[in-house]
Amino acid sequence: MGKIVANGINTHYQRMDAKGVDPLSAPTVVFIHGLGTDSLASFYLTLAAPVAAAGINVIAYDLRGHGRSDCPDTGYTFQHFVDDLCALLDVLAMRGPVHLVGNSFGGTVAFGHAFARPWQVASIVSIESEPPTQPWSARMRQAMDYMAEQLSTEQTFVDLEAQNGAHHAKLARKAAAKLYSTTMVADLPEGRLMSAEDLRTLPTPVLHILGGEGLQGEDPHALERALSNCRTVVLAGQDHSVLVDAHRKVRELLIPWVRGIHTDVPWINAAADARALTAEHVA
Amino acid sequence: MTTTEASRDVVFAEIAGMLRKVLAELGVDDVEITELTSFNEDLELESIDLVTLTALATDHWGEPVNLAEFLADKDLDEVIALKVGDLVDFVVAALARAGG
Repeated sequence: MGKIVANGINTHYQRMDAKGVDPLSAPTVVFIHGLGTDSLASFYLTLAAPVAAAGINVIAYDLRGHGRSDCPDTGYTFQHFVDDLCALLDVLAMRGPVHLVGNSFGGTVAFGHAFARPWQVASIVSIESEPPTQPWSARMRQAMDYMAEQLSTEQTFVDLEAQNGAHHAKLARKAAAKLYSTTMVADLPEGRLMSAEDLRTLPTPVLHILGGEGLQGEDPHALERALSNCRTVVLAGQDHSVLVDAHRKVRELLIPWVRGIHTDVPWINAAADARALTAEHVA
Repeated sequence: MTTTEASRDVVFAEIAGMLRKVLAELGVDDVEITELTSFNEDLELESIDLVTLTALATDHWGEPVNLAEFLADKDLDEVIALKVGDLVDFVVAALARAGG
């Protein structure tokens, strides 16, 4: 628990071992949070304890530029975040396939990692998220430009404070400061994108959790059609904040999903055995 | 002073010490902390700082004091509105259940 260097980034992470079972034989979930004001807290303070109590190991970490991880001036392409996750799993010596649970941008990182290292990923739980495709990249570019413009005006923070309180406005100011002091806005949409064929042939089982009024409300089953092994659950009355606002419901979906995924699929075990992961980290 | 009051005072002092440690890392010193002090409004702590507090609590008291479990039962807005006294209540009860 604490800090570990992965891909050159001093990464804040927290770990909670599975309770009531031998952690070495329990499945492991890796929680990946979203952008902006988010941090590992949105998963750690909601899902971590009940998931560990259900006999599942938990790892959560702060993305570069977020929470208590390093915030370098440059290096914020989507690919950097995927490479960070790859490196983190290596330095934590995760030898078996893990379940990646990603919220919003965190889910996109999860898909990117499954695309790069399918043998390391037992499943993806995608919460209000989507894979890194060309349309995603284009939408992300628009969203980052829009956010940068909005956060450059004082009125935005005044409105935020009136609507959501001083705490949220303060967090937004901090996020804005990071946007302007780093290359995040220009970098984020760049990286190794997935084609339609890549989506179709991705072997990873996916549980896709959406808010009925979230970002994909108009076509909630689009991802199911694009992937070969995807199940969608829409939580009515929820929006993009479904993880935080409906964390008990998310937990009720996540725990049986992870327990039910069988990782004794021959191609996963054979590939994992063939790749001896070494743990090298510099404190 | 009863045993429970003594324990409560000790637990409060320990939680206050942990909070001062978290605040010191944020460059904040010399803050008054009472049981009525709220984490967000008074101390301006964010949810990520509460994660640090959960780790400090488990390191100090061990598994019986699982702050993350306590906090997971609440909505995030309730968590941000918590006061030091709420945490003291939880720790005292958890230690009593564990026989400590």
